Amino acid sequence: MNAFNPQAFSRRVALKTSSCGFGYLAFSALAAAAKEAELNPLAPRTPHFAPKAKRIIFLSMQGGPSHVDTFDHKPLLNRDSGKEAKGFAKLLGSPFEFNQHGESGLPISELFPQLANHADDLCLINSMHTDLPNHPQAQTMMHTGNFQFVRPSLGAWTLYGLGTENDSLPGFVTLAPPNGAQNYGSAFLPAIYQGTPIGKQARNRFVAADQQAAISNIKNPQMTSEMQRVQLDFIKSLNEAKLKRDEFHPEVEGIIESYELAFRMQDEVPEVLDISRESEATKKLYGLENNTTAGFGRQCLSARRMAEAGVRFIQINHGNWDHHNNLRDSLTRNCNEIDQPIAGLLRDLKDRDMLKDTLVMWAGEFGRTPHAQGTNGRDHNNQGYSMWMAGGGVKGGLRYGATDDHGHKAVLDKVHIHDWHATILHLLGLNHEKLTYRYAGRDFRLTDVHGEIVKGILA
Amino acid sequence: MMPVLNRTLLLTTCLLPALIGQSGLTQEMIMNSTAPKYSDEQINFFESKIRPALVKHCYKCHSEDGDKIKGGLLLDTREMSLVGGDTGPAVVPGDLDESLLYAAILYTDSDLEMPPKYKLDDGVIADFRTWIEMGAPDPRERKSKSGAPAEYTNTIDIEAGRDHWAYQLPSASSEPSPEAGSWSLNEIDTFIAKGRETAGLTAAGDANPLTLVRRLYFDLIGLPPGQEEVEAFVAGYGADPKTTIAKTVDTLLAKEQFGERWGRHWLDVARYGESSGKEINATFPHAWRYRDYVIDAFNADKPFDEFVQEQIAGDLLEAESPEEKAEHLIATSFLAIGTKGLNEVNSRQFRFDLADEQLDTTSQAFLATTVACARCHDHKFDPIPMGDYYSMAGIFLSSETLYGTAEALQSRRTTELVSLPATSKAGTETKSLGEMIEMTYQMTLIEERLTELTDKARDLRQSGDADGARAMLNQILRARNQVGIQEQLIKSYDDDGNPIAFTMGVQDRDEPFDSQILIRGEESNPTEERAPRGFLQVIQTNNQSAIGTHESGRRQLAEWITSPENPLTARVYANRVWGWLIGEGLVTSVDNFGTTGEKPSHPELLDYLALTLIDSSWSTKDLIREIVTSRTYRMSSNYDETQFEKDPENRLLWRANRKRLDAESLRDATLAVSQHLDLSRPEGSMVSQVGDGFVGRNIQETQLNTPSNHRSVYLPIVRGLVPESLSLFDFSDPSLLSGKREVTTVPSQALYLMNSDFAINSAQAMAEYLVKEQKLKGPELAKAAFYLCYSRPPTQEEGIHTRAYIERFLEVAKAENLSVEKSRYMALTTFCQSLISSAEFRYLN
Repeated sequence: MNAFNPQAFSRRVALKTSSCGFGYLAFSALAAAAKEAELNPLAPRTPHFAPKAKRIIFLSMQGGPSHVDTFDHKPLLNRDSGKEAKGFAKLLGSPFEFNQHGESGLPISELFPQLANHADDLCLINSMHTDLPNHPQAQTMMHTGNFQFVRPSLGAWTLYGLGTENDSLPGFVTLAPPNGAQNYGSAFLPAIYQGTPIGKQARNRFVAADQQAAISNIKNPQMTSEMQRVQLDFIKSLNEAKLKRDEFHPEVEGIIESYELAFRMQDEVPEVLDISRESEATKKLYGLENNTTAGFGRQCLSARRMAEAGVRFIQINHGNWDHHNNLRDSLTRNCNEIDQPIAGLLRDLKDRDMLKDTLVMWAGEFGRTPHAQGTNGRDHNNQGYSMWMAGGGVKGGLRYGATDDHGHKAVLDKVHIHDWHATILHLLGLNHEKLTYRYAGRDFRLTDVHGEIVKGILA
Repeated sequence: MMPVLNRTLLLTTCLLPALIGQSGLTQEMIMNSTAPKYSDEQINFFESKIRPALVKHCYKCHSEDGDKIKGGLLLDTREMSLVGGDTGPAVVPGDLDESLLYAAILYTDSDLEMPPKYKLDDGVIADFRTWIEMGAPDPRERKSKSGAPAEYTNTIDIEAGRDHWAYQLPSASSEPSPEAGSWSLNEIDTFIAKGRETAGLTAAGDANPLTLVRRLYFDLIGLPPGQEEVEAFVAGYGADPKTTIAKTVDTLLAKEQFGERWGRHWLDVARYGESSGKEINATFPHAWRYRDYVIDAFNADKPFDEFVQEQIAGDLLEAESPEEKAEHLIATSFLAIGTKGLNEVNSRQFRFDLADEQLDTTSQAFLATTVACARCHDHKFDPIPMGDYYSMAGIFLSSETLYGTAEALQSRRTTELVSLPATSKAGTETKSLGEMIEMTYQMTLIEERLTELTDKARDLRQSGDADGARAMLNQILRARNQVGIQEQLIKSYDDDGNPIAFTMGVQDRDEPFDSQILIRGEESNPTEERAPRGFLQVIQTNNQSAIGTHESGRRQLAEWITSPENPLTARVYANRVWGWLIGEGLVTSVDNFGTTGEKPSHPELLDYLALTLIDSSWSTKDLIREIVTSRTYRMSSNYDETQFEKDPENRLLWRANRKRLDAESLRDATLAVSQHLDLSRPEGSMVSQVGDGFVGRNIQETQLNTPSNHRSVYLPIVRGLVPESLSLFDFSDPSLLSGKREVTTVPSQALYLMNSDFAINSAQAMAEYLVKEQKLKGPELAKAAFYLCYSRPPTQEEGIHTRAYIERFLEVAKAENLSVEKSRYMALTTFCQSLISSAEFRYLN
């Protein structure tokens, strides 16, 4: 049972040993890996130029968080609160106070007291805009750059461009995703590049915190891993025979790869998701001891562990940001749930010297109107909103772009989703015009024929 | 703290939420009434005594400008005081007993004490008494946000909008019937051949009969063919393909399993779910009746137009027997099974949201039109003004939706259910006399406990121990929830212990009304203008009959939708059927035929199918028959590089699409090959067994998702808790209408097939069947196993791999010191598991 198994000597082991200083071992293993790269679509690839960010943690907020109550301070909106706006409902000042934080003096709402401590790491983009003010389309736009056609997601493009550093874990993980598999799909890219969902969606608040980052069926109750390897080799032979008969069948290739990955994941995933060995201080840092923050905190901590283990693209999801009414209470509740965990994540990454090459991004699919809906709500607004990035090659303590006086439309240094995508790829060392995939006789890219790199935010 | 305790009890106890129409005053009467003329004296009394008291004691929690609107009650206008809040009208002019406001300020009912923190002076209470008795004179008018009444102006040019292809009537094209000896077998093929030829593509050859029989079985009944059936088909096909296919299709269409397969397709569109979803997630123990109705409708080949009419307006249709009446009533569950925010505080908001969900589902399911986009503004892409939205919304607002659910903390929106004629089956078993007594006794115990707890809390509060009272809150709430659940349980049996048959559904309100147009969709921001109940202006049909003042208009809505002059309905449904068979719709955006949707790949074919559907009296089976007997359906899915370069997505159908089995077929096929599949229909559903309650609170996943060998369509579909065997393989989200499933390939699927109890148990059962029942071993066993799983014998290469696998596995098992017997058993079971886990099991060529 303990016989030496060459297959168990994965790149993961090689990387672990290399970081421990056994360079020569690592060298031969990496040389082998390079050969394998031609065969293995997930093998690490050399980017187009030196990357600033090696991995991404994307904090995706579903529902359209209000920017004028969080990261886009609009004093004139408060001054004009209650005034009629032509063709719109009355303006509604933010019920939340903004204060300046850090040396940079970034204005951040009182809703994020912990995150505000990291003001000097945050790069706020206040001039985001997107095409449509409808949730499904805007979500798809944010994730794939196209709301009309089925296109590969940002994570899939990233994995396609860079491969992954740990072949025992999916290179693209989305934790507790809401519905809409297209948002982590691979479309015409090979199936192996699609995101692997882990854990149950937390839309229903009765999903326990520990289920939000868990994976089922991770262990066979009867077979040793040697026996299972033999079985999987047989399944592989069946699948390869089918692939040969079918000549060209990307989904079958995807199935073959998914078994191989699943087999390796059995050892690696429990370890990565097992946060019991984290110190009490770390757990506290992520807010695990508090019922309000435990769910999202667990996701953030799992994200850090995956980032550390070499996962290329990690997405964390948080829902219920669609505050048409009850803005004050609901927005407060949402922010309470994520503030400590995100601040903890940034702190932890920094302490481990990982923030410098980890790009952390927080965004919703659009923002909300400065105009009131009812007395205590805001409607969808795609014409101007905010998101932020931190770490991996972006300027901290920066407030980039601006909306108009009241926060309705982006007016200065506008950043469209395509521009944002182009910039993300740039930070990863990928040229968004050169990262293409040939399909149906055409070279496709994430940014289609658009996208300007937002140079002003590059560190 | 006390106020919280009090308010919670107020919201959750005492009266059932007063439905509009039950209080004697209807929404319509209130909304339409203008302020009566009051005498100066009366007005003076109001202004000097009542208004100041309301402002001082009530507005903080019960006015538009207050901190919070509690209990859904607004007291700052005459109109809203009459409408009342969650528990009923606050003020009924002249009637002290019916006026909840008066009951509350009296402080005699501990569940209903207002203001929460103190009792009003006797003098003030007397003033309110006088005021109500004199007819509650109240000059306050409903405020409009901007002072002047809001106005709405249509910005949409309907006439220009009619140019969009989908709003023009389907037209018969002059495509000739296929010539003898040509590739085409029927009209469908002539359209497909034309599209292909225009693009310079050539057709793949026919699929081999082994592939074809498997395709037919899965597409029509969602199950694999047995070995005998395969052999008969292959033999017949060699002699006469046409007749063999036709006969097989007829056999399959006549099977009960056809309705289970095709009914499930429709359940995706109907966003079928057995709980309310969202935060409260209360169970719907009666939803399964709709599931069975849909399955039966497909089996009976109910004409699609009738199917639509029954789902929208079954309660209004003539029935010839109690059974038919029951069927019609159950059909309207379509409108009642959607997700609901049962914790919504504002009752008006809740009603608008409910109508919106119904309107959205109805318009997308039948018309593939996103009417709901016009709730807050004119539709941004399609010719649908806001006025049209509110015309349709009025129809749903004038209907009462009955979905049951237990009362509990935060679950504020319970309703009655529709009782079915006595002949209907109930779905749960009869209770013995002993059980009935026990059930009632339990109720007494729970109620006593609740009284005990509330009394105790009250005593503590009065003795100044606020913390002690607060500490009891959770206990009280739990007891309160139990009362609600138990009440619901008792209500579902008659005195003899026979379960009473209920269904979810809709009924017309006594006083239907036209909806106001709400500016930006805000219930608090209505215009003066009411949108007369009606349909979309962009689609005019000749059968549009007027909606009478005493009917909701659902009957007319159903007629309008199913009119042959409605250009959408037949097209949308024919396109769905095409997509479910071919793997992709002619219009790929199957739920959106608007301008943001996709255009049809073969517009003439789509029109032909729509017209054929109407001509065949809307027969689904005829439509399916026509499609699957075409040459197009019969094509092989073989790859061809040249064709692929030109048309990689196969939009023009140069070959058959390769299809991944959907989650249900995959699970059912696994059960079938393991010989575990139970083809009987279970009585009710796990949800009806578990009954009323709240998922994640008193109902846990383990109670619902128990192992079952029934077909997947009968598994409990609880929102947020879809069984893993389905959710991992892209089952549609039961909260959302969906005419098309996604296909993902992720390692969690592989892990499920490698390690789950279901996969392992099924494989063991399959192995035991082959060994014990079929008495097979060696190559004969392997051959039978391949046949069972793939409807074909193993290739020579596969035979070699199989032998090698068994040998290799035994070696490894020996090294692990497993007994010979155990090793052999596992080698065999894991071999079976491997066949089930492979790509071929999951893909139809």
